[in-house]
Amino acid sequence: MKEFTPKIIGFCCNWCAYAGADLAGVSRLQMPPDFRMIRVMCSGTIDPLFVMEAFQKGADGVFIGGCHIGDCHYQSGNHRTKKRVAILKRILSYLGINPRRVRLEWVSAAEGQKFAQVVTDFIVEIKKLGPSPLRRLDV
Amino acid sequence: MIGKVQELAKQYLTSGKVGAIFGLRENNGHIAPHIFKEVEELDSLVISPKYPLFYTCRPSKKNIPRLLQEKYPEIKVGVVAKGCDERALIELAKRDQVDIKNIEILGVACTKEEAVECKCSKPYPYNLLIGERVEGVSEDKDAEDLLKKGLPERLAFWQYQLSKCIKCYGCRNACPLCFCKDCALEQELWSKRGELPPEIPVFHFIRFYHLADRCIECGECEKACPMDIPLLTISKQVRKDVKELFDYEAGLDVGQESPLLTTLDETPMGETISDGV
Repeated sequence: MKEFTPKIIGFCCNWCAYAGADLAGVSRLQMPPDFRMIRVMCSGTIDPLFVMEAFQKGADGVFIGGCHIGDCHYQSGNHRTKKRVAILKRILSYLGINPRRVRLEWVSAAEGQKFAQVVTDFIVEIKKLGPSPLRRLDV
Repeated sequence: MIGKVQELAKQYLTSGKVGAIFGLRENNGHIAPHIFKEVEELDSLVISPKYPLFYTCRPSKKNIPRLLQEKYPEIKVGVVAKGCDERALIELAKRDQVDIKNIEILGVACTKEEAVECKCSKPYPYNLLIGERVEGVSEDKDAEDLLKKGLPERLAFWQYQLSKCIKCYGCRNACPLCFCKDCALEQELWSKRGELPPEIPVFHFIRFYHLADRCIECGECEKACPMDIPLLTISKQVRKDVKELFDYEAGLDVGQESPLLTTLDETPMGETISDGV
């Protein structure tokens, strides 16, 4: 049987997580290729509806990367992300979608190593969870 | 009991304490919200937990007391409010949808039977003037059944329930807190208008999420649903979660701001938030 290759959407904030990903790339850190990244200006722009839309369109996992609390370029954008994601995960679990398919991580621009680590961990976890149950609805 | 409510409303109106009374009126067997201006009219005032009082009028998407206040800013409006109506009023005032300073609440308690029918956990207003305060229903059977299920069973349950949806938008129209001018349910980006079945579960997720910090558990969405989708099950559960995570309850206090609009402040939540599984 063919090995399951997950589709993972990553929303990364322009100032920290995206720069962290850039550093991971420049440092030539090895990462699995199942990760598709979307750059947003702040993790606070991520409406939980974006996450739902990603699942609807066939994503197996959604990663959200932002600045550490206190480091947000816009002061408090990531405070809101944190609260929203907490509620989003609860609703997902009631609807029967494993909330571990959504992961929120704080990655600063200097943490290329951490970025590679959390993304690799996340991909391993999604591989364990298998394809998203919503996938068949759309395909 | 309705006699007492009518009497008090008449007293308010004749003494000039309020300029108008807002409540439900029975007219040829039909019950609908009405603005009472004359004392004689008040004989047709009724209370019914089955009919929404604060649903927003389209296309302005404003509730009736607000429309009245916009036209007559000086008038004091008496609102005949059950527990849920009062919570809705408080939440609407918090979100600048109504001017609560010019509103006089005539709080009416619901009976035990009504509370059971509505699965209401708080069938009395804070400003209780008429009726006996009875304890609400504390157990929530729908939620218990849902939480007993594993994730795949929950998904199967909701896929069946939500597939019944005929996109009548009744849940949104009946909801006292659904007042956004540009409703996400009508945006092509999230949901194609007029196409069935709805996008499962995105279409319903929009309301579950948007009402996370607003839902006051009136249950009008569920009562309005022609397909009997148990919408309140998730909304109630999310309301509980918001209380647990942020110590916030919608419809409690006009001065208390929604946690989704504030920062983490001095008491940040723990780095790991449990997923509720």
